[in-house]
Amino acid sequence: MSFLEKPQRNVDLTAYDGKIPVHYKYTLGLAGDKFFTAIKKDGKFVGTHCEECDVIYSPPAIYCERCFASLEDSWVELPSSGTVVAFTVVTEDDQGKELHCPQVIAAIQLDGADNVFIHRVCDCCIEDLGIGVRVQATFKPKKERKGTLDDIEYFEIATE
Amino acid sequence: MGLRKVACVGAGITKFVRRAKETGRELAWEAAKMALDNAGMTLADIDCVVIGSAPDAFDGVHMKGEYLADGSGGFCKPVMRHFVGGGTGVFSPIHAWQHIASGKFETCLVVTEEKMSSCFPAPAGAFITIFDHTTEQPLGPTLIWIFALEMNRYMQRYGLTEADIAKVSVQNKFNAIDHPAAQLPGKITVKDVLNSEVLAWPVKRLDISPASDGAAAIVLTSEHKARRITDKPVWVSGVGWALDTAYWATRDLYYPQYVEKAARMAYEMAGIREPDKEIHIAEPYDPFDYKMLHHMEGLLLCKRGEAAKLVADGVTARTGRLPCCPSGGALGVGNPIAATGLMKIIELFLQLRGEAGKRQVPGDPRIGVAQAWGDLMQVGTVVVMSR
Ligand SMILES: [Zn+2]
Repeated sequence: MSFLEKPQRNVDLTAYDGKIPVHYKYTLGLAGDKFFTAIKKDGKFVGTHCEECDVIYSPPAIYCERCFASLEDSWVELPSSGTVVAFTVVTEDDQGKELHCPQVIAAIQLDGADNVFIHRVCDCCIEDLGIGVRVQATFKPKKERKGTLDDIEYFEIATE
Repeated sequence: MGLRKVACVGAGITKFVRRAKETGRELAWEAAKMALDNAGMTLADIDCVVIGSAPDAFDGVHMKGEYLADGSGGFCKPVMRHFVGGGTGVFSPIHAWQHIASGKFETCLVVTEEKMSSCFPAPAGAFITIFDHTTEQPLGPTLIWIFALEMNRYMQRYGLTEADIAKVSVQNKFNAIDHPAAQLPGKITVKDVLNSEVLAWPVKRLDISPASDGAAAIVLTSEHKARRITDKPVWVSGVGWALDTAYWATRDLYYPQYVEKAARMAYEMAGIREPDKEIHIAEPYDPFDYKMLHHMEGLLLCKRGEAAKLVADGVTARTGRLPCCPSGGALGVGNPIAATGLMKIIELFLQLRGEAGKRQVPGDPRIGVAQAWGDLMQVGTVVVMSR
């Protein structure tokens, strides 16, 4: 193709259609299994605690990334509340289509944990949302929970 | 050459299984932690991390190196991930060797992982795009096509039968009975192999290694570190890697030129002139039974076309003159791609230290070679280890 010859549309050249015909089933892992079981059964967050580094991971890990200690027996319960450290309001989906209802996504510093947790915030809270605002997880009713991230309906601005 | 000596001082491996509950990073941590414990080291003793993992499409995680980094001990450390397909696991210690031989680092944690069970309906589906998109993909090829054509070419070139080749599967699965990580060990017969389901003639179910989940790790260090850590260092005394033609259909399928190139490079560095006499123990890559034969020839361990006879005569058995795949190989231990290559390196490490337990090759072996094969079936990676 010469330098000046520029096909303008990506269907102009002869092509074969291709596809990678696979999909994925990811295991939750040892840590993920406990994390999502606690949410499903008890509507609670759990994490793992490295005493050596004094770090609490939630979502948890079975090892401390800093010192490599095993955290398999170092589980702690955490409140389902936290503080917003960053947020965004999403108006287009991943295909560039406008969302019917804007989606609020936040990085939430869970109380007691050392890492932030990424989840939705209820769009009813959009007016009052800001950095440092206290939020609380709302779980789906127990019988609807499946042990997945969607068991957390969203976070809402904490009432107290 | 101005390069420093590099030693292996510790090794760890998870069990190889069809479907692990652990995530890939959890598997990586189990193997990495075990390797550090084995070396009597902690993460604080590690200067840098290298990660070997085959296609991202297996685990279904793009940028798998980054994903695996924390479980591999990469927190706040220089981390590099490499990938040469099935050849990855034996390239991993080569990559780490470069870091240490160059003088840049004293210690390197080497972690390999594969979680093929995430991929549905089968990991083979992820391979479709390795074939040329216009000259091959319209035929609907599967990976096994390559192996069937190659096995057939190899058979007819030397007048070998399916039964001659099946003996490799019988040997390796038997050897794997004594490997604690093994996924498919067992006493099978040549007849079992011949009667197993034909996938793409002449390739049958029992000619093939399984899809697996697993991780393996080692610790490499400079010479002066190694001497302080252990009185039994195992040296990475030769490394070689090579690609032959970049396209699988433009080479003659009966002979793995890619292995010979890599092997000659590794042997030259290790000062080995007559590999068939000087090598005590070999771990050629055996994802298929004929491939162990193919690779023995490429590694110059015997004349071309003679590998099958060595297997038939028991020369390659654990108690033979030239044990090949005493671990049980990919056929018996399992084949979580990158971790398989490192499993072979670990086998040499243990055998040369005399720590292989029930698998220990008699006669105090001092020099071993491990090899893997991959990319679009034309890369060879070779490591010589010695005591
Ligand atoms: Zn820690």
